[in-house]
Amino acid sequence: MHLQPDELIDLAEGTRTESSATHLAECAVCRLQLEELKATMSAAADVDAPEPSLLFWDHFSARVRQAVDAEGAPRRSFWTWPRVAIPAVSVATAVLAVAVTLNRGGSGNTPLPTVVPAPVALPVASVDLLADPQSAGDTALTLVAELSSDMDFETARDAGLAARGSAEHAVTHLTGSELRELQRLLQEELARSGA
Amino acid sequence: MRPAEPGLVDLDERALVEACLSGQSAAFDVIVERHRRSVYLLCYRFVSNHEDASDLSQDVFLRAYRGLRSFRGQSSLATWLYRIGVNVCLNRVSAKKPLSESIEDRQFVDEKAESAPDRLMKDERGARVRAAIAQLPRKQRATLVLRMYHEMSHQEIADVLGSSVGAVKANFFHALSNLKKMLGGEVL
Repeated sequence: MHLQPDELIDLAEGTRTESSATHLAECAVCRLQLEELKATMSAAADVDAPEPSLLFWDHFSARVRQAVDAEGAPRRSFWTWPRVAIPAVSVATAVLAVAVTLNRGGSGNTPLPTVVPAPVALPVASVDLLADPQSAGDTALTLVAELSSDMDFETARDAGLAARGSAEHAVTHLTGSELRELQRLLQEELARSGA
Repeated sequence: MRPAEPGLVDLDERALVEACLSGQSAAFDVIVERHRRSVYLLCYRFVSNHEDASDLSQDVFLRAYRGLRSFRGQSSLATWLYRIGVNVCLNRVSAKKPLSESIEDRQFVDEKAESAPDRLMKDERGARVRAAIAQLPRKQRATLVLRMYHEMSHQEIADVLGSSVGAVKANFFHALSNLKKMLGGEVL
């Protein structure tokens, strides 16, 4: 059986010695093929590429610089936006869950005053994200902000954003006194932010 | 071209990329300066003429700049640029038949001092080999160029082309066999 292409390449490149290929000694076809490979490699290696002048390199670098300047800053990778969006959506979901729970609290044993933080929650996250000059041009992030700004609690829960063990679960399992304390903290925070 | 900031030229590849991503565009000048020759020669080996090689090299660096955030440092910057370069060149050669430039078109190059007849013979021989290489199928051409002229290992070529070492060796074998057929005995 004749030598395989990879064996002939190894022999032609010298990574394998000819003495180790016993077939070569008894096969004129393979010997000829090997010699032709070596000759072709030698002919190809002898062809040099022209070396551009120093003047060309100056012009080349200037052209690249011009093209790069026109391009602006390197683009944010598509896969980096979730690193910003996911925590923001999580925070927004948690605040939304608190708001919905407080609204539901009116039908419980302990009467709670109505607090309406929902309009504050998602827009705050959205505005902060879109105010970031790097993400302002990110269409994916803009899309998330637009979609989530109208998202109600039920939709978020159905989408799996408020699974058991999440903020929603924690809030719905608070005792009456814990809920009152949470309400007080929220009102304090809202009053401080002027909302 | 503005001179590179002194601190930047001493930075290693990773630091240069980081500097570039943090807004220091001068860091990319240093990357270009370090790799422009090898990228240009890679492109020239594919297209065999200066104008196209120059345009393709610029395209390689522009694509590299656009995709700088995706450079993870798992391979060297040179290998990463080669990968972009090979893709750019393969796309180009499949869209446009390469034209080898005439000897007259190569006046811009710095030639070593050689006697005119020797230079002429070498140029003619080189032009025939380049024209033959330009006729090779794309992967065979890429393999031969990277192996013969950029001294990349079979493994590195496999990484660049997204294939196996065995496939690279087979491609190299077929590239040389086809080259031999096209050149016949004229330059061998």
